[in-house]
Amino acid sequence: MILLLGCGTCMTVCGAGGEREVSFLHSALRVAQARSSDGAHSFLEYTVKRQCDFEFLDLLVDKVDESDAILSLGCGIGVQVVAERFPDIPVLPGVNTSFMGMAKEWGVWDERCAACGDCRLAETAGICPITRCTKGILNGPCAGTKNGKCEANKDMDCAWVLIYKRLEKLQQLEKMRRYYPPRNFRVIPRPRRIVKKTDVVLGEYNG
Amino acid sequence: MKEVSCGHSLIPPCQVACPLHMEISEYVDLVAQGKVLEALQVIRDGNPFPSICAYVCTHPCEDACRRGQVDKPIAIRALKRFAVEFGGDRMIQLEAETKQSEKVAVVGSGPAGLACAYYLRKLGYRVTIFEAYSELGGMLRVGIPQYRLPREVVDTEVQRLINMGVEIKVNTRVISLDLLFDMDYQAVFITIGAHQSLRMGIEGEESPGVIDGATFLREVNLGLKPSLGERVAVVGGGNVAMDAARAAVRLAANKVSILYRRSRAEMPASPDEIEQALEEGVEAMFLVAPTKMKRENGCLSVTCERMELGEPDAGGRRRPVPIEGSEFDMEFDTLVTAIGQAPQVSENFRLRIGRGSTIQVDPVTLTTNRPGVFAGGDAVTGPATVTQALASGRQAAFRIDDYLRHRYPLVNKESEGILSDELLPKTVEMIRKIERFEPPHLSPEARMKEFKAVELIYNWESAVNEARRCLRCGMGAEIMFQDKCATCLTCIRACPYHVPYLADGGAVQIPPAQCQACGICVAECPAEAIVLRKPHDRRHIDEELEHALKSAAELKSKPLIVGFCCQYGIFGTGALASLWRESKAGIWIVPVLCVANLEEGHILRAFEMGAEGVFIAGCGEQCSRENTAFWVLQRVEKVRRALSQIGLEPGRLQTFNLLAPEGDAARALDDFTERIGGLCLASVIRGEVKS
Repeated sequence: MILLLGCGTCMTVCGAGGEREVSFLHSALRVAQARSSDGAHSFLEYTVKRQCDFEFLDLLVDKVDESDAILSLGCGIGVQVVAERFPDIPVLPGVNTSFMGMAKEWGVWDERCAACGDCRLAETAGICPITRCTKGILNGPCAGTKNGKCEANKDMDCAWVLIYKRLEKLQQLEKMRRYYPPRNFRVIPRPRRIVKKTDVVLGEYNG
Repeated sequence: MKEVSCGHSLIPPCQVACPLHMEISEYVDLVAQGKVLEALQVIRDGNPFPSICAYVCTHPCEDACRRGQVDKPIAIRALKRFAVEFGGDRMIQLEAETKQSEKVAVVGSGPAGLACAYYLRKLGYRVTIFEAYSELGGMLRVGIPQYRLPREVVDTEVQRLINMGVEIKVNTRVISLDLLFDMDYQAVFITIGAHQSLRMGIEGEESPGVIDGATFLREVNLGLKPSLGERVAVVGGGNVAMDAARAAVRLAANKVSILYRRSRAEMPASPDEIEQALEEGVEAMFLVAPTKMKRENGCLSVTCERMELGEPDAGGRRRPVPIEGSEFDMEFDTLVTAIGQAPQVSENFRLRIGRGSTIQVDPVTLTTNRPGVFAGGDAVTGPATVTQALASGRQAAFRIDDYLRHRYPLVNKESEGILSDELLPKTVEMIRKIERFEPPHLSPEARMKEFKAVELIYNWESAVNEARRCLRCGMGAEIMFQDKCATCLTCIRACPYHVPYLADGGAVQIPPAQCQACGICVAECPAEAIVLRKPHDRRHIDEELEHALKSAAELKSKPLIVGFCCQYGIFGTGALASLWRESKAGIWIVPVLCVANLEEGHILRAFEMGAEGVFIAGCGEQCSRENTAFWVLQRVEKVRRALSQIGLEPGRLQTFNLLAPEGDAARALDDFTERIGGLCLASVIRGEVKS
């Protein structure tokens, strides 16, 4: 038995791995089975609230016990957390996680953040040149901008024109006059980790 | 048999407004689907005498209809008339068996009495109706003129009651209730109506040539043809005044004038009746009241004074105030007074009498001050509508049943699940405006000569089109599983009517009063958290689909084609669909409320269960919804991609009649069937080559 596992948060919001997608995939697999008369596998579908937290996955133990493999429709994080939580069975990715973005309108998503760890949004009027400029340059625009569009794709806005216009509106054009040194292109030591909690030795403090 | 019923859906305003609480949206929808027999069944479930209501109901449902906020209300009464006539109501036979030993006496055979007898008989009691006149029907017979309610209709209903085993005693005036109890009746329902005309209390009211409205109509309706002379005045502004005036026209009076002391806006008569009376040449004199009259030189000299409107009274209507010195004289041959009627209850009944000579009852149980004696209809309410009387009769029957079975009255509370809010302007803006189609009427010239029914019946097409205007209030979408909702905003973005919204706390709300039940959000919600409220006794798409697949499996017919068809479109309803169902083996039609409600999973399910082809058929340009084709095509493309990944030809999924009407529906489907047959054969050959 293969457990088709959906994720009820981000993957639902972006229409890639919520309950509807899980059931669509399930239906499609059943059609394929019926057509090929190959009944070797059976499927079970389930959607958890979030795949990226062990506590939610703990609720799945019984279902996983019955399963031979998990096909996760979570994002890349979800797939890994599921694999980590259930070390004894294969976990397969059902979705190719592409980028972090926003819904422009129904059915259209645009990338907005590269999670580079080197955020410049304060200087660029809240418009990220790393993700939205094809070249990712920091002191744009380049010579390829034409009528506010990018030379790489004439349907795409030039991020630096957008930045300029917005700074102008906010009367912060002096931010354009500064030179920004190149980003730190050193290899980021991965995996990154953020530690919010501090080491507290109980007993050392008196309230 | 039930008093009030409600399914999972909210109760729409029309049903709340109906004194009988009939499931109006349900039968209107069935008419829209062309299912007239089923519509009639729903009507009969909620109304003992639908044929009568189909003619004379004052349709408070139409006043409450929310379509009126968009353009004009649905013509509900005319649609009921259509269902009653085309569904063959008069052919329906009813039977009832005696299950209880108790006998019940019904005093009076007006609509309330007949309805009470009907329900008591269905509950298994032995019922006797006592009627003072020679024929049954009360006001249906002696009050309402034939051109509004043909006598055959009343005859049919009375005959049905007799066939059910109700005992009838005509020409029998009940003079004592004690006598009835002595005759072994355990309960009595008093429904003697309000036949006594109120007097104007002015000088000369007793003069020859002055007749009261109730008596006049009774004589006309019993076929006595009273002689009126040339000039007739009718005093009053209610339905009885209109009936009297219109009857006078038909009795060949040359000039019929209505004298009413207020203006047209305050007239209590139904607007249709006023309009039709004016069409027939009745002259209306507003703000005029007679003050005295005198018979001289062979005609009636009536002194009137003019009125003006003053402050509103307790009922909210502006009070007429005489203008001093405005008296003037007019001459008539006959004057009919129709300023109101009251019941006349025999003192022998020893019943407590309240305001306006009506019988005092408990409004919930309809019990009077005497044990075992119940009362209802006009005798309790004063002059009211036929439908109110039927409701009162039904209520009495169920309360008498409670009484005789020693049960605490089972009274339905209706406060829950009612849809009452008005449509918001932004919703109204998005709803397609479709003109109300009125049923045809006899021309005024033809009407004035005789007492034939004025209103004619819809033809099939107009009835279906009119019924489709229904907004299906209360059947809309709701977020069934709030905990599943990921607040992805898909519903907000997809709704063509801008109904879902983000509440202050950040949760999505779908106000039921605005939802137009297209089902787009239900099929798009990525969390599957939204469902459509289910009208009772109705199957959702998945249930319809499983039903069709099961039936197909039982017949082992191949190649199997499943068609999801808008239940209003040519593919889903009407003769064409039934033709295929019978003659074209292997085509199974799954009716859907709207194709926008169809989910990808439904289509795949059909393929999984062995369908060689699937088609989706809309209702073409008749669609009253917005943007449905867009959503259907989105889903079709998604399924086609999945099919080709599985190794099935995308052409096995086809749409018809989505945006524009199909030129030749039968031909289009023939072509599709042929193509599927070809694909089927090809895959069999491929399979054999492989092996």
